[in-house]
Amino acid sequence: MNFSIIEQIILTVLILSTFSIFFYEIWRRLRIINKGRGKLPFDYFSKRMLRVFKEVILQKRVIQGRFWPGLMHGLVFWGFIVFSIVTLDHFATGFERSLFSKSARHLYTFIATPFAWLVIIGIVALAYRRFISRPESLGKLSLSSGLVAIFIFILMATYLYGETTLPYLRQAGTLASKINWWLHSLVILAFLSLIPKSKHLHLVFAPFNIFFRPFDTPEHIPTKIDLEASEEEMDQLLQNLTRLSKNQAFDIFSCVECGRCTEVCPAHRGGGILDPKNHFILDLRDPLLNSKDVSVLGQINVEAGWECTSCQACTYACPVGNQVEKSDEIRALQVLVEGKVPQEYQKLFMNLQESGNTEGAFHSSLAEKLPEYTPDKDYLLWLGCFARFEIDPSFTKAVTDFTKILDKAGVTYGVEKDEWCCGDPANKLGDRMTYQFLIDHNLEFLSKTKKITTLCPHCMVNLDKEYRKFSDISYVVEHHTQVIATLIKENRIQVKPNHAGPVTFHDPCYLSRIIGEVDVPRELIKATTKNFFELEEHGSNTLCCGAGGGLWWKKEGTGRTHLIRAQQIVDSGCETVVTACNFCFGMFNQGLGPLTPEDQKPIEIKDIAEFVQERLT
Amino acid sequence: MKICVLIKQVPSSDALIKLNNDSTWIKEDTVVFAINESDSFALEEALQIKEQTGEGEVVVVSLGPDRVQRAIREALAKGADRGIRIKESFPYSSDPFEIASLFAAAIKDDKFDLILSGLQSDDLGSGQTGVILGELLGMSTATLVVETKLSGESIRVKRELESGWFQWVTMPLPASITIQSGINSPRYASLKGIMSAKKKEIRLIEKKELSGSIPSLQSIEHVYFPQKTKRTEMIEGSVDQVVEKLTEIIQRNY
Repeated sequence: MNFSIIEQIILTVLILSTFSIFFYEIWRRLRIINKGRGKLPFDYFSKRMLRVFKEVILQKRVIQGRFWPGLMHGLVFWGFIVFSIVTLDHFATGFERSLFSKSARHLYTFIATPFAWLVIIGIVALAYRRFISRPESLGKLSLSSGLVAIFIFILMATYLYGETTLPYLRQAGTLASKINWWLHSLVILAFLSLIPKSKHLHLVFAPFNIFFRPFDTPEHIPTKIDLEASEEEMDQLLQNLTRLSKNQAFDIFSCVECGRCTEVCPAHRGGGILDPKNHFILDLRDPLLNSKDVSVLGQINVEAGWECTSCQACTYACPVGNQVEKSDEIRALQVLVEGKVPQEYQKLFMNLQESGNTEGAFHSSLAEKLPEYTPDKDYLLWLGCFARFEIDPSFTKAVTDFTKILDKAGVTYGVEKDEWCCGDPANKLGDRMTYQFLIDHNLEFLSKTKKITTLCPHCMVNLDKEYRKFSDISYVVEHHTQVIATLIKENRIQVKPNHAGPVTFHDPCYLSRIIGEVDVPRELIKATTKNFFELEEHGSNTLCCGAGGGLWWKKEGTGRTHLIRAQQIVDSGCETVVTACNFCFGMFNQGLGPLTPEDQKPIEIKDIAEFVQERLT
Repeated sequence: MKICVLIKQVPSSDALIKLNNDSTWIKEDTVVFAINESDSFALEEALQIKEQTGEGEVVVVSLGPDRVQRAIREALAKGADRGIRIKESFPYSSDPFEIASLFAAAIKDDKFDLILSGLQSDDLGSGQTGVILGELLGMSTATLVVETKLSGESIRVKRELESGWFQWVTMPLPASITIQSGINSPRYASLKGIMSAKKKEIRLIEKKELSGSIPSLQSIEHVYFPQKTKRTEMIEGSVDQVVEKLTEIIQRNY
């Protein structure tokens, strides 16, 4: 095919202008991201690259989350990779050059042609899903998606047409093949200029976003409050509360609008207004672009923010590497700047400030019965307010059963009489000042501690991951399931499975998603019963009980967030549900009974410590 | 508009109460103290009135030992402009007339347009201090207010009556009104509020400076928990026998 000098000039102008638009739009966004707080991380480079390989090249999360649509997306994506070389070569043709030798090019068509067909299958299937079957999570019909589908289809069709009619450069082309060539070129250029202004920017941003995703979920920048600070410092601090981190700003531009986050959100599923895709991500995109700055947290719907259980399901579901959840940051603005706090939480904060615990109590009869911690003991047994003040008295047996296991194994432990609330509810509900107050108190005695164990995953996350952001800590924290598992492994206790009806395990969000412990509880249950089965949503795909994010203290609302997991357990047909978090235990203890039909046997709720203790030999 | 809010610090509503050694008061070191619930609604109402009128001053006034300083600080952090505390130590005044007289003596020179207080305290519950104070200062008074509307030199208030009835009353300023819980949504002290509260004035007045001519008409002799007893008597027999027995028991006991 021959190209006249005019054609080549037109082509050059088109390519240059498209690339200018493309890079200008990307640069505009990068400049905003760069104003964010913190730094984009480059540590653990190889670990991050491996993650990119798995989640981008292998499309792991894309396919895991939604198998068929994910696979179709995979076909299109892998086709894109194959076609990147074809595309370069295509434009070279316009300047009567080639990237390949004749034979290499011929060989490559044997790869590209089947992929062209696979891409067509993929894009037609995806277009069918988006425009005909239309699942709710995809939201409103998107014009750009329609255009992109047509573009990709045309690209593949023109490629196949070109290859069949004109496989080799320098063959005299017909008019039809010339038109075909130009159509292919124009569509590529149109596609390129569409990318940065639409969700298709994920083509460019997602791989980097996945690379930068923090290892800790969620990784919110801590707010350190010094009440002795000057007025300017305090103003700066309050100003910072509205600012996104660089990573969060990167997230906003990487979003592909698939709606997986909203689909898995317990508040959304329970009929609440919270819609993580829009509230936490998309509602911030225009404010970022319009203000050219990152002070946009104040734009998020506040009522939606109060509904979040901070379970991190949204972040786990995200295929482009976003840390979606921002509830405690939204709430911090309400608490620290606006002073608008639901009355029940004001009461909770007052209790925390005045008594150091959620209940406003001055005495714990459970703590009194347990040995006191001294530095010669193996573990500091951190009770947490829930157990310490017997918020659900049935949970006390879990604590005493755990101590029986420790006694049997000859492990020494003690409780700290000065233990205050770890601060989880204050932090998650946005009262950073009270949080700081509790941390300062606790760190005073914790700094002399080496090993801590607790039954509460929320306490564990705070003592371990959150406190670390405030102070250098030298102690280690183990969840009681981990301690028990080690004791069994070291043969310091023996268990014997005994007969039990069908048993299932509910993964607490904080244990499975934030701490990342999903195997140990299963090993323990499997060692003690042969009748274990999994709930449909389990492991890091678990569904929140509804109590996280401080919502345990929420007054009765209208939503069903606190009931959907309980309902799943009732419907599962289990006789016993084992869990490993006091809040989950309390939620099910209240929720399962009323949901269980009269002709069904009441379901037993057990903490894993009880379950194991009852099977010690 | 100069508004005075009376606040009292009381044991938090779900505090586990224990008595002191000679049963004359509660053990204070094992309970959380908080601003009396209806007082916090009165404070919020005052702050909202000030915000609406766009000018004036909200002054919180309290009586009590040093721990009360925290309650006043909290009110200042929420937006009150200054505080006045009449210092007292144990045994505390429990006579509403004496307390109102102390407040009257402490604030008479301030010439408040409006005095807001909670409808009653959660600990002693007399429900009289705000009204007596109004009378002592020659103000209009209204109790159990669930809505306020300020217009010029008068205030229109909605009062809660029995069995779902309400009453609108218009009265001239200055006025002292007592506020029912639930009238608004009390705010939380913002960080900025807490910081600025540090610079706000709390005037301390010794109780004895005021109490010269004020008699205390009542004092607490003894506090005790309500006696709970449980007696079960099974009545058996025919309906007639049961009714006869039941009548006998009721007559015997009342």
